[in-house]
This record gives sequence, structure tokens and C-alpha cells, in this order.
Amino acid sequence: MGAPLLAPQDPLKQDLGNALARPGGAHLLGTDNVGRDVLSRVIWGTRISLVAGFVSVAMALLTGGVLGLVAGYSGGRVDGLVMRAMDAVLSFPPLVLALALGAMLGAGLTGVLIALGVVYTPTFARIMRGQVLGIKSREYVDAARALGAPAWRIAVRHVLPNAAAPMVVQASLSVAFAILAEASLSFLGLGIQPPAASWGSMINAGRGYLQQAPWIVFGPGAALFVTVVGLNFVGDAVRDALDPRL
Amino acid sequence: MAQVVLKRLLATIPVLLLVTAGVFALLHLTPGDPIDAMMAESVDATVKESLRRELGLDRPLPVQYAAWMARLLRGDLGRSIRNGEPVVDNVGRRIRPSLQLAAMAMTVSLLIAFPLGIVSAVRRNRAPDRVGTTFALFGICMPNFLLALLLIFLFGVTLRWLPISGYTDPLEDLVDGLRSLALPAITLGLALAAVVTRTLRSSMLETLAEDYVRTARAKGLSEARVVRRHVLRNALIPVVTVLGLQLGTLVGGAVITEYVFALPGVGRLVVDAVFARDYPLVQGVVLLIALAFIVCNLVVDVLYGWIDPRIR
Amino acid sequence: MISRMSRRGFLQLCAAASALHPSLARAQAPRKGGTLRVGFYIEAATMDPHLSGSKIDRQIYHNIYEPLVTLDVKLGIKPGLAESWQQPDPKTLVFKLRQGVKFHDGTDFTAEAAKFNFVRMKTETKSVRKGELANVDSVDVVDPFTLRLNLKKPDAALLATLTDRAGMMVSPKVVQERGGELERNARGAGTGPFEFVEWVKDDHILLKRNDGYWSRQGGPYLDRVRYRPIPDDTVKLQSLQAGEIDVMDYVQPRDVAAVKADKNVVVLDVPSLADFAYQLNHTRPPFSVKALRQAVAYGLDLEQIVKGVWLNVGVPANGPIPPTSWAYDKSIPFIKRDLARAKAKLGEAGKPGGFSFTMTTNNLPINVQEAEVMQAQLAEAGISMKIKLVDGATLISEGNAKSFEMISYQWSGRPDPDGNVYQFFKTSPGTSLNWSGISNAQLDALLDRTREVSSPAERKKLYSEVTKILQDELPMVFIVHPIEPKAFSPRVQGYEAIPDGMMRFKDVWLRSS
Repeated sequence: MGAPLLAPQDPLKQDLGNALARPGGAHLLGTDNVGRDVLSRVIWGTRISLVAGFVSVAMALLTGGVLGLVAGYSGGRVDGLVMRAMDAVLSFPPLVLALALGAMLGAGLTGVLIALGVVYTPTFARIMRGQVLGIKSREYVDAARALGAPAWRIAVRHVLPNAAAPMVVQASLSVAFAILAEASLSFLGLGIQPPAASWGSMINAGRGYLQQAPWIVFGPGAALFVTVVGLNFVGDAVRDALDPRL
Repeated sequence: MAQVVLKRLLATIPVLLLVTAGVFALLHLTPGDPIDAMMAESVDATVKESLRRELGLDRPLPVQYAAWMARLLRGDLGRSIRNGEPVVDNVGRRIRPSLQLAAMAMTVSLLIAFPLGIVSAVRRNRAPDRVGTTFALFGICMPNFLLALLLIFLFGVTLRWLPISGYTDPLEDLVDGLRSLALPAITLGLALAAVVTRTLRSSMLETLAEDYVRTARAKGLSEARVVRRHVLRNALIPVVTVLGLQLGTLVGGAVITEYVFALPGVGRLVVDAVFARDYPLVQGVVLLIALAFIVCNLVVDVLYGWIDPRIR
Repeated sequence: MISRMSRRGFLQLCAAASALHPSLARAQAPRKGGTLRVGFYIEAATMDPHLSGSKIDRQIYHNIYEPLVTLDVKLGIKPGLAESWQQPDPKTLVFKLRQGVKFHDGTDFTAEAAKFNFVRMKTETKSVRKGELANVDSVDVVDPFTLRLNLKKPDAALLATLTDRAGMMVSPKVVQERGGELERNARGAGTGPFEFVEWVKDDHILLKRNDGYWSRQGGPYLDRVRYRPIPDDTVKLQSLQAGEIDVMDYVQPRDVAAVKADKNVVVLDVPSLADFAYQLNHTRPPFSVKALRQAVAYGLDLEQIVKGVWLNVGVPANGPIPPTSWAYDKSIPFIKRDLARAKAKLGEAGKPGGFSFTMTTNNLPINVQEAEVMQAQLAEAGISMKIKLVDGATLISEGNAKSFEMISYQWSGRPDPDGNVYQFFKTSPGTSLNWSGISNAQLDALLDRTREVSSPAERKKLYSEVTKILQDELPMVFIVHPIEPKAFSPRVQGYEAIPDGMMRFKDVWLRSS
């Protein structure tokens, strides 16, 4: 977003003669294995890493939310069906899913987003369903139903606002995990398409140079750390704000 | 109780069916072919064709799935395409290091998380809490391949205290075995400790605010006793949930740790099998991992009842 | 200039590899005993040389089994289980077999046993040696120690093929008694300097010294050889530095400089037979147009790739034949970067503004790095290259199906130039290693001649002509002939590097430290 303005240099500009340069001078965080400026790539990588985190969680939040709502509200057979499907996803080794998707779609952001999105869906579905079941039996919902309000309206008016809080807390934590997971997927060769960079793919590309040029890993590692810490604080703050007992 | 468990077990059958159908579809939609992958440098088309026929890979997908299912019902998971050995043997060889690693990682995490989590909660917002919280964040934020490489560099290369890679079975040679699993267990255990510390801290904080804790305090019980008797026990439920979920993941999902430390575990088995498009092996292992995951959750639910009789 | 320097350096290196590495050949008497611990990147696939389709297996076979003929350090062919051979006519090959050789199970190696092996390779359903022995029509036992191969047509490359798996002899008794088990358990099966002891899957393969080895010269000295898979390169290297293993099969270019500076490790640069290239698909756009293939070739800067990505652990390639081969023609330069010509070719193809294509490559660090550098180079020529990263299995299926535009191809190489050339460029319908789909009558005729002619000098001339056509037609853009550095603990003595990259431990011994 602000990357074009902030980045001191072109993140794709290679200079093979100046590969693995130490931090300092023109390259504050050094250069990588083809002589690109690490700082500029970290700044540009922010975009992809955040997209990976936020979009995948948004997908999971939406799908999981709707599924949980439907399951919880309908009960009975629909509930059983949806929740069994969620259990199946949950018990499916996430890496196998990611690997298969990666092989199918080729390495790239799409595969990563879908894989992470699918993996996080059951969590949101479970939370949502739990909330719905809790709220469904409340008196005001009964009252609304007695007054003949349609199901969707009850859902939007009464159920959603109450379920929002735990979903948001879970989401903020999941984003942090998703950004990290993207780094792990890079390790298995499921990163994003070169020459673009995400923090995960940069850390992975640099791991072979840990002894010769640790700065390749240090830059994106620090960015990852700060972001994940930040998101955790947000999650905690939201939780504290919503739960007065703490 | 037994009835509940039985019912839950029956409910897992459709879940497992979904998992097997899912992995089957996913694998066969993936480009690549087991025979081509196995014989990358050979182009003998007739050999490859006869192998495919022998393995039934030339039949339509639904037929292949039905055949696999039929064998499964007879308790046969089939054979690996790559090494020709039964899937069960392949997994059997790998499960022991995986379980040992999971157990050790779990131990490491509990040894760290319990003192840290309890102190953080009791001394909320004071120095110990800050240290604990920072540690937890650090553990969460560290991609584990990076942590693994740093640990290797520190303890293996520089200090030479622990072996860098490879596996010795602790049941055969206790000391060497534990040493061979130490670094991988720390790698996994730190990340897990971070999650457990956070969970324990927040659930303890919640419990500390409960009325009965206040009552206990009002009765003049010592703080240590309040924490031990009333808070900790009730705060354990979410921790057990997290541990249960993580145990399933640890057994099948420690891929990166196993890869870096060259440990022959289940995680690496399944990843290698995916890369080799060894269909029966992937299907078999995924099924077993899913089963393990479900059993873990069941155990967790039973534990709930034991920790908190109200939930039964 | 740099390239010429490095090429000369490379050739010197090839010569140097024939002598032993100084620190690996100290003037000390070889000592018996010890276990050599070897780190490989991957687990072996099978112990049956007739069914094996992966490179890593060969590393182990060369210590358990022996082929009829073997390679010397200059890739010349020397006696193995056959003491001598003759070619009375171009379609007959007669081997005089060594007497007094026993398999590890105690049975004798004879012409009957050798015939049994050839028949098995040619008929066993799962045999993957059929293609290599396609020209062998029948096998006769002339007398107990004389074997005759009758060929369908002249095949100049056959002898070199018999230096590897296709020439390896397995005990007929073992095959008959426990053939199915041979894939997992090679006990008693070979004649080599080491005997198979056990294979604990995913953990290690253990060999022990064959005290009844037929040759009384040199080794085997080692008590045991223990192979272990360590998949991560960095960890494997650190295991060597920390003394957990004594030998590793391959050092990544990025680590070579650092490892050479480490006095706890001895690095040996072993020139390989490999060629690393990119296949261009002739059967579909954009590379069905010759001028576009040429534009890409002129747009790439091999010197920069070899220097920047391979860190000079290899030399720019002028074609498929590596500098280690007798057939390598050093008078043919590799294709130099020429942006003006690349632009002209684009104009010729009617794409003066450039074009874009997708390159499929393996998702491994060095491949990704190379792809990124190529991408930047081609961009300067106005060509936009998209990179598609896939895993090995997908790469192979895309290649076989010709569903790519440009695809990475890494060939480990064969001792005879035929193995690096014929199957890649000969017109061949259906599935083949000719992924580019090139079909050129002049090339086909030349390729057939290379098999019929037996004089190396004449074959070399033919291969030079082939190389020139390849540089013009471009079924592949050739990038690098890599060097495959191997690293050792300083205790390891007596290792002789043969450019096929196989690690033969017969004469290796361990210095007491």
C-alpha cells in the first residue's frame, strides 16, 4: 500500500555483483542472494504477507460463520451434516491439503490463501454455532420468533451482534497464525510466485545462508515478529474490552 | 460413559468417510503420476504401462476408490507404490519416533508453560507476567524451521552438546535416544509452550474472577492454596482442549521439525508420499492421522468429565 | 574473458581430479577398520539394480555390486567383472569373464550367471533396464567364462551403458530364492567390495567389508559403510562439520566457499557428467517459432548465471556434452548474450515489442534463484518470463505431456555422450525424454550415425555437428555443466573421484585421528 513510497529501492532490482552484501550504506538491511535490497523487499513483502493473513482469515470467517450460523440455527440433520464435514476438515492433516493444493494450482498466493482459508474454517464454524446455540434459547429470540419475524432477520438482528465478539478475537489471532503459516508453507515449496516476496518466502530463501548472511533472514523475521506481536495485542485488547470480568 | 464413548465413535465413521473421499479426490486431481515420479530417468512406456495396470491405476477413479474402500473394509490399507510394502508397515515404522517426539515435546511445553502461566496470571501485569507474555509471543512468532536451525547452530555446531540430526530409539538406548530427540522436542515444545502459557494465563485470570474464588479467599485460605485447590483445577479445561488439539497435530504435523532433524516420523512420511504421488500411502496415512486426531479429541472429552464432573 | 578462464580452469580441474586430492592421499599406509558414515540427501528406493530408476540407488550399488566393465577417472572403460572384451564385428560383443569371483552368498560368478542377469533384465516385468539393452538381441554362453552379446544393430554406446546398472551382476541364487525380497534386502546378492548387511528403512543402510573380495590389490579397508539420509542441505553440512558423518554426497554452491575455509572439512570438486538446461516446446506457441527460441537464447547471459547463481561451481554449457567427456568440443563457444541480436530475432518473428511466456521449474532454492536471474535478464531483452514453480512429480508429468512452454531439465548425465544426447533430440513420437518435441531429419540422421560409427574420433566429429545444430535449432537452452563438490572429514583417505559422481569406497580408509 505505502510500499512504493516507503521502499528506498526497487525490490526487484538485482545486482549479482553485490549479492549477500552486509547491512549498511545503500542497503540498510543488506542484500539477498541475487543482490536485491532486503529492506525494500521486506517493505514490499508486507503487502503479500498481510494479504495472505487477512484474506485467508476473512474467507474462513465468512464461510465458517455462515456454516456455523446455518448449523446452529437449523439444528437436527443439517447441523449434524455441517459439523461432521467440519470435523472432517479439522482432522485432515493441513499440510497434505496445502501440498495437494500447491501441486494443483502451482506455487502461488492463491493456493496458500485457499489452503489456509479451508484450514481455519472449522474453528469459526464451531465458535459461531456455539454462540448461536447459546443465543437461540434466549427469551428475546423466542419473542421475536413468536412475533413472526423471519429466520434471516432474527439471525441478522439478534444472533450476529452477539456472536461478533468471540469471532473477532479469534480472527485477530488467526491472522497472526496465518502469516506464520505462510512462512512454513514457503519452507515446503508452497510459497508465492517469484520474483515477488513475502516475509515467509524471504526467510525461506535465506535459511541456507544463515551462517554466511544472517541478515537475509533477520529483516523479514523482525517484520514478522513485530506484526504477529501487534496482532496478538489487538486480539487481547479486543478480548479484554469485550469481557468486563477481566 | 461407555455409551457416550461408543456413540461418539460411531459418529466418527461418516467423518472418516469424508476424509478418505476428500483425500482421494484431491490427490487424483493433482498433476503428476506415481510411476513417472518413480522412474524419472526412464521412458520405457511399456514397463510403465504394465506397472500401471498391475497397480490398477489405469481404471476409472470411482472404480479405484471403490476397490480401495473394499480392501479397507477387510482391514487392508494396501501397499505403497514406491517401496511395495504394506502401508501399515510403513506407518508402523514411523509412528514410534513420532509418538516419542510428541510426548517429549509435550513434556517440554508443560515444564515451561505451567510455572510461567501460573506466575503470569497470579502476578498479572507485573514483571513476571511481562516476561511470561513476551516469551509466549516470542515462541508463537518464531517459524519453527528457523528456531530449529538456530538451535542446531547453538547446541550442535557451536557447543556440540547435542547431536544435530538422526534418530536413536530411546527404548534401545535411553541416553542417546533422549539426546537425539532433545533438539526437535525443544523446537516443537517451545512453540507449544507459548500457546499453552497463553491459554493457561487467560483461563486462570477468568477463574480468579469467579465468585467461588472470592469466597475461598474470604474464608481466609492462603493464596497458594486458593490457586492450587480452586483456580488451577478449573482453569485446566481450556488447556486440556488445546493440548488435545495439538497432540493430534504433533503426531502428524511435525513435518518441518522431522525434516530438518532427519527424524523418520509420520509427518515426513506423508509429505514424501505426496511428493511421490504414492496414492495408497497418502490415503492410508491421512486416514490414520485423522483417526488419531479424533481419538485424541475423544480422550480430551473424557478428561473433561474427570476434571469437571459437571460436564459429564 | 572470464568464461574462457573458467573453462580452462574447469579443464584443469578435470585433469586434477584424476590425481587424488592432496589431503585425501597422504603418504601413509592404508589402515583397515572403522565405519564410514555417509550422508545422502534422500533415502534409497530399491536394492535391486535391475528395477532401480533413481540416481541415489546407484551410489550404494557401486559398493555392493559390480558391473562387467567400469569407468576410470577419465571416463575410459576398464575391466570390471569382465577381464577383457572384443568386438569381432559391429554387432557382436564378446566378454572374457574374470575367474574366481564369488557372490556374497558363496556361489560362483560365471558366464551362466551373467546370461541369467541379461535375460532377467530383458524379460522381468518390472525391469527398467529394457530400454538400455534394447539393442541386445540375444546372449550366448560360449564357455564357462566367455559371454557373447549379439546385437540387433551396432551400438557404440553399449559398453559405457554396461558400466552401470545394466552391467551389474546379481547372484542368480538370490534372485531365484528370494527375488521378491531383493528390493529390500540385498544380502548375498553382489560381488562387490562390500556386502549388504541391513536396511533399516528411513534410517540407515549398513554394508560390511567383503573379506573374500576377488581383487588382492588395495581395499576394501573399511569395516563398515553406513548410509544415512539427511534431507536438509544445511543440516547435512553441519553434521559433517560437527563430525557426525564423514562424507557428504553434494555441497551446495552457496556453501562451497565457506566449507573450503573450514579446516575440519576437505572439499573435492568433482566435475560431473550433468547438463542443466531448459527445454523449449517446439510443438506449440510461442516456441514453435525458431526466431523466438533464438531471441531467448541471445537474451540470456550464461556467464552471469554461472558466476552469480552457481558461484562458478560449474561452467557455461555449449551443449549437452560435458567438458569431462572425450566428445566435448571446446572449439564451440557457448551462446553469448547479444541483446541487439535478440531484438532482431524478435522483429524477425513479428514481435518487435517482445512477448511473454511461462517457464516451469522445480521449487528448489537454486532453481528459483536461477529463474529470477533469467527473468531479469530476459526483461532487458523485452521478453517477459513468468515463473511457475512446481514439485518434481508435476514437472515430470508436464514434460511428458508437453504441456509447458519452457521447462527446467536437469540431467545427471551418462558416461557415453549418447546418454546425454540421443534420447533427447531424436524424433520420437509418444512419451520420451524428447520433451521439446524437436524433429529434424538432418539431426536424426546424424544421431543414428553416432551409434553406428565406432571410432571415437569420428563420433566426436559427429557430436560436434550435432552440437552446432542444437545451438541453432534450440530444443533446449543449455545453461551449465555443474561441478558436484563432495565433502569429507579429514580422516577419510584414498578416495578417487570419478566424474559419474558415484562414490566407490573400495580403496577408502580412515586415518586414526
